[in-house]
Amino acid sequence: MRFPDALAFALQVIRRQRFRTAMVMLALIIGVSAVNLLTGLGEGARRYVVGEFSSLGKNTLIVLPGKTETKGGMPPLVGEAPRDLTLGDGLALLRIPGMQSVAPLIIGMAELSSGGRVRDSLILGSTSEFFRIRQLKVKLGKALPDQDWDLAAPVAVIGTQLKKELFGTSSALGKWVRADQRRFRVIGILESKGVALGHNLDEVMLIPIASAQTLFNQAGLFRIFADVMHERQIPAVRQRMLEVVKARHDGVEDITVITQDSVLAGFNRILRLLTVAVGGIAAISLGVAGVLIMNIMLISVSQRTSEIGLLKALGATQSTIRNLFLGEALLLALLGAFAGTVISELLLALGRLSFESMPLQTPLWARLASVSLALGTAVIFAWIPSVRASRLAPVEALGSGQGV
Amino acid sequence: MRFTDGVRWIVTALGTGRSRSILTVVGIAIGIAAVALLTAIGEGVRSYVMTEFSQFGTRIIGVSPGKNVTGGIGGILSSVRPLTVDDADALRRIPAVETVIPVVQGVGELEFEGRHRNVKVMGVNADMPAAWNFRVAQGRFLPEVQAGAASSPYVVLGHTAHQELFGDRSALGRKVRLGGRAFRVIGVIEPKGDMLGFDLDDIAYIPADLALQLFNRESLMEIDLTFAAGADMVKLQADIRRRLIDRHGREDFTVTTQDQMLNSLDSILSVLTLAVALLGSISLLVGSVGIVTTLTTSVQERRGEIGLLHALGAPRQQILILFLGESVALSLCGGGIGILILLACKGVALVFYPAFPLTPQPLYIALALLLSVGIGLLAGATPAYRASILNPVDALRSE
Repeated sequence: MRFPDALAFALQVIRRQRFRTAMVMLALIIGVSAVNLLTGLGEGARRYVVGEFSSLGKNTLIVLPGKTETKGGMPPLVGEAPRDLTLGDGLALLRIPGMQSVAPLIIGMAELSSGGRVRDSLILGSTSEFFRIRQLKVKLGKALPDQDWDLAAPVAVIGTQLKKELFGTSSALGKWVRADQRRFRVIGILESKGVALGHNLDEVMLIPIASAQTLFNQAGLFRIFADVMHERQIPAVRQRMLEVVKARHDGVEDITVITQDSVLAGFNRILRLLTVAVGGIAAISLGVAGVLIMNIMLISVSQRTSEIGLLKALGATQSTIRNLFLGEALLLALLGAFAGTVISELLLALGRLSFESMPLQTPLWARLASVSLALGTAVIFAWIPSVRASRLAPVEALGSGQGV
Repeated sequence: MRFTDGVRWIVTALGTGRSRSILTVVGIAIGIAAVALLTAIGEGVRSYVMTEFSQFGTRIIGVSPGKNVTGGIGGILSSVRPLTVDDADALRRIPAVETVIPVVQGVGELEFEGRHRNVKVMGVNADMPAAWNFRVAQGRFLPEVQAGAASSPYVVLGHTAHQELFGDRSALGRKVRLGGRAFRVIGVIEPKGDMLGFDLDDIAYIPADLALQLFNRESLMEIDLTFAAGADMVKLQADIRRRLIDRHGREDFTVTTQDQMLNSLDSILSVLTLAVALLGSISLLVGSVGIVTTLTTSVQERRGEIGLLHALGAPRQQILILFLGESVALSLCGGGIGILILLACKGVALVFYPAFPLTPQPLYIALALLLSVGIGLLAGATPAYRASILNPVDALRSE
């Protein structure tokens, strides 16, 4: 039998049994689109998180005070150490060859007040380099001045939300904000970045590092951001950083230097695992669809025994008949998988329109896996019915046809 | 038609197309097993996390510095309004409060005879073991100190920290160095294990006031209070607020109860369980498509039989019920087998991996069976209705 004939045969069967075809297609569509939609959601979430983290450039290293040896990958992101990281450490890091810029950071809470309005807010003490490393842009006014680190200038850059809370719609530039016993003149307003992971930068006040040290009466830094000139220099510079600080801390290596990767890798792994798990759960439904295909094919074989007998009488071999039935199942699966993929792509596109920040997209592996799973289950589950059809004895098969 | 006749009719019908019925049942069984397994795992994870979190006791109230703090990171940051050890001492005088622990957390290097170990350092006080259900394995815990007096430089080691630094030797009475200061080891804590990846044994406990000096901080990170069973929570929280506002002049701290935290955690995990159950029910949906298909086919094939029933005077309602019964029987079988699969998984897990969080809940099992009955009714509705409205003459003629 030629291929076009076989195709025409299968198509004719599909047309004749419209209801069953529709049901098998429905089952496959549910399965395939479930896999695609769920992995698409998972992948979207992963890319969103990774994108958020990448706002901290590729070449940025983070220095934290303290070090632990406990098993498990998480660095001591929070907490205190006996020996402070100091501004001197930061300046020493800046002298390392290959280092582009260094920004020290102190974080604290304080109550801000201006013109009778009061609000508790996060305060970041840093330098002008911090704006570059964290890619912060100033909407109005200017960023923190580029000056010596130990100059405690009474100036501040505030986030948009904080500006709204303290000043309402009136202009904030040049106004004074009181924090504890000190006053800061607002010189800039940050461009809104929305909620970045960790802290909402719309609700913070940035002040010079030395001002933060006096405000919080604290010499030690919360962490130091260090930007390396080239990505390939990162390992060498990282090593040098540990040595430099070790020499400054009486020969004790008591800091942790992490790259963005080490933070990101953890999240990436977890989210990818979740995506695979969710896709796997959805793929169970494809197995159930396979059972349905087997059932339909069995029914189909039992109803078409006379037809099979005729084919056999006309000289069709066992393998021809088996392949005919397998082909029928494959064609069904192909149609179902195609329709399922189209539907899930449409829904995801709709999702992208409504949530612009979420890059919802089914990863390639999931698309391939869902379609090949659909085809694979179709072949596996149609195998037994097809073989049963091919083994029917022609006489018997023709004979049974009389009754129906 | 009598009830028993109806049952026999359904059994015969299902038995005639045996392979067909079995396959339909398998489809539903996979779906029910998926839902039941996933909810059981979700339940298992939930109870595991809840026990992990309540191992420190459940009657805990935390006070952290700063207001309007999201996510609990507040205590680690510097604040212009510190919480002090004196604040903690003041809270101790509130009735119904049993223990008060000032908490400072950090990391530091322990040194003993040339051996070094970087560990977590917790600044606490004498109340800690009682409040957090820790037991001291050797020696004793940090001693009580008069309010306002400076603590002696004692340290109590966690199990891992002790092992790493001293091996099998006794540490009691030895002097270790921590952050450039000498501390005398006066006790070792029993192993506590990990909590969600956080090693609770690689810790050195020192008095909170010394920890503040060590880390050069003004403010505690948190004050933990435990209270007597049956205390009035609302009044207690109000008391804490009032006492601290009296001392600070305003409300510059946040009070959280363990109950609130556990409750929100509990509800998050319950929602997650529900979500995975929904994921599993996609398979159930496909399984019900299977029921619709087989039943519709079977109605088509048995037109003659249905016509005969009509001709013998069976009311439409009865035919409807017969076919619905067939559908429910299929799905109920599937549900039963699905639950057997779940129990088998539980058995396998018990033998090979007892720690696997799999907790089949009778309630959920009952719900799964109910769900399968519901699916049978829904999926069977259309085919059964079609059978019931067949014209007897047409139906008989097709024979």
